[in-house]
Amino acid sequence: MTVISMEHIVPVVNKTAAIQQQQRYLVLVEFVYRHLNFQLAELKSILEAHGIHLGSSSGSSSGCEILPLPVPPTNRSISNRAFVILSFPIEEAKRWSGLTQTHEEQQLWGCSSTNLKDCANQSFQWLNRKTNNNEVESSSSSQSSSSFQRDCILPLVCDDPERPWKFTIHTLGTKVRRDEQDLMRKTFQDTLDSLKGPVKLDDPTTQEFLLIREIELDGKGSALLRTAATNNNNNNNNKTSSDDNDDDNNSNNITEMTSSQKNNKNNKDAYYNTDAIAYYFGRVLGGRIRSNEGSRGLDHYSLKSRPYLGPTSMDAELSFVMTSLGKVTTESIVYDPFVGTGSILLACAMRGAYCIGSDIDIRVLRGRGGNQTIWKNFDHYKLPRPEIVRSDNALYHRHYRHHRPTTTTHISSSTTATTTTATTTNIAPHLYDAIICDPPYGIRAGARQTGSKLDNPRPVLEENRHNHIAQTKTYSVSDVMSDLLDVAASTLKVGGRLVYIIPSFRDFEEDRDLPRHDCLELIDSCFQPFSNDLGRRIVAMKKIIDYDVSKRTEYLQSIWIDGAESAEKCANLRDKIMEAAREKPGYEEKAAIRKVKRKANKEAKKQEKKRSKQEENQSQQIKSTI
Amino acid sequence: MRLLTHNFLQSNVRGTVDGYPLKIEGTNIVVENSSMDSNLVRKVLPKLNYPALVAAINDIRNEEGEEDNNNNISESVLKALHFFLFDVHVIEGCLICPGTDRRFPIKDGIPNMILHEDEV
Repeated sequence: MTVISMEHIVPVVNKTAAIQQQQRYLVLVEFVYRHLNFQLAELKSILEAHGIHLGSSSGSSSGCEILPLPVPPTNRSISNRAFVILSFPIEEAKRWSGLTQTHEEQQLWGCSSTNLKDCANQSFQWLNRKTNNNEVESSSSSQSSSSFQRDCILPLVCDDPERPWKFTIHTLGTKVRRDEQDLMRKTFQDTLDSLKGPVKLDDPTTQEFLLIREIELDGKGSALLRTAATNNNNNNNNKTSSDDNDDDNNSNNITEMTSSQKNNKNNKDAYYNTDAIAYYFGRVLGGRIRSNEGSRGLDHYSLKSRPYLGPTSMDAELSFVMTSLGKVTTESIVYDPFVGTGSILLACAMRGAYCIGSDIDIRVLRGRGGNQTIWKNFDHYKLPRPEIVRSDNALYHRHYRHHRPTTTTHISSSTTATTTTATTTNIAPHLYDAIICDPPYGIRAGARQTGSKLDNPRPVLEENRHNHIAQTKTYSVSDVMSDLLDVAASTLKVGGRLVYIIPSFRDFEEDRDLPRHDCLELIDSCFQPFSNDLGRRIVAMKKIIDYDVSKRTEYLQSIWIDGAESAEKCANLRDKIMEAAREKPGYEEKAAIRKVKRKANKEAKKQEKKRSKQEENQSQQIKSTI
Repeated sequence: MRLLTHNFLQSNVRGTVDGYPLKIEGTNIVVENSSMDSNLVRKVLPKLNYPALVAAINDIRNEEGEEDNNNNISESVLKALHFFLFDVHVIEGCLICPGTDRRFPIKDGIPNMILHEDEV
């Protein structure tokens, strides 16, 4: 899930926002770099799940809004930033503190600015304001609300001056030269000196102060590096008046390269040569999860640390993003019709949801041999086991009952509970708050449905029925998707969400090719590129109206605008990837080289086998002669 | 398999008219206490089919339930419901279709509801 760090400044004036941010908290949110495209959609969902709505940035006094991030003075527009600054009124602080408790990855923050010294000054000012807050607050804020405000602030602001603390610098995974490190520490000397508590590194009560040095990222979330050679040529372009310490602004027209090249010896210098585009300083709220943070961070949840895995297990961060988009909370009932190894349900269970999963794959029952079963991961993280049923999503309405009990209840004396007269309304009960899944598209795992390839399958003998293995046939992607949407439309509660992943090739048009349903409204669709041709989308839909069973055929017909053609675009991607690879120059030669290598490998293996067999024979002969 | 799941499962072998509720034949039934979330139980209540739940409880207890005429849902009733819905797990056994007697095996807590090719 996103790493969220937050900031609170009571009356600091933000340079970029013209509005005086009196009586508002500023919160800095940091996202997982690998999934930057999903950040806004995810943030919105999390806030909504906690009853906070993002208002317009018109500067209205109520509601939560997003403030622009500080921009380096070079005026270069920067994309791919992993941070968002939120501003919200003090009265809502209570709600926020609830939010930070349930989402432990959030942090509350202090200060932000484009240059280090400003940042330090601001936080110093703010901190001093806070330490003698009684006078300042009462003088700056309206009289009566002052005590009320402090009550609200308490969970967010730690007013215990004796609390132990530590100071950390977060550089988004880049190295920083020693002199700059020293500089960063020294600049914050004043601020840190005014903290009265002792320094403790791993005490649980320690409050952590964090300095973030933001650098520019590329589309995949790794650092953009600059070569030192061209650094000096363009200094004069946009040099603005800034502090002496601020030497980070000379970044026009500098050759860019990604950190994948950092191992190249010639560019060793460049490894250090990232320009800071902003600094943020503040106090961390709650525990934080950062991907480079070892056992405390997301690594704890990473696939590598799980006992049960499959080829299609969803990666941990993305599963968390999906749970956020699905607004999964502790009271949610979540369903995954393609549960597989249970990786998505695992993320939902970590959010405290009640999980139900089903799959047609026999491996759901058997696991992967030994005690490698779907339960393993849940036991590993000490989470309650989900409900797993082996059933076929194509036949959902035959596996699960339709009729919903009506509201007329009467007491039956012979039973323990109130009996409800169930009338068959032919509607599936609105059981789920969210359906979150990764449907099979035939890239790594093909979809199957029950039924035989033959039109008239041979009947199963009754005496063999108990251990008969049911036949399955292929399940086309267009049917997978229309069944999924139909099941979601009929079983979600109104307002419930469907979140799924769909791969897309370059010819995929979001407006025309995404499946749709009259009962479901598209909330968000976020694209994550893999290569120039291929990527995947996370699609979030919300159920808006009740499902009308009499319109089912209409619903099913209108799922694809362009009919099966759209579905084809996300099916058989393996072939398309191969085809695209063939179009690239030099494919033939490379393929030929690979072929030769493969042949040689095969031959070598054959020879080795022969040799080992001969040796075995010889040793046997020797034995027999003895 | 928890009884909550049982409440939603049905058999629909081709030609079955009455495939609900499925009869439970448990050979290994485990009780695992979990912390109760009364909001979750309350949320599930309107979605339940009570005759089926009562039948299920009788199936696993093999005896008549105690009489309880309390209609308003107090904390103790919620607790009892929570116990049956969330804490009772059928680990091994069978679900039996009342219409056709088709048996759906439960293995390691996972009911296998897949229909055979001649039943679709």
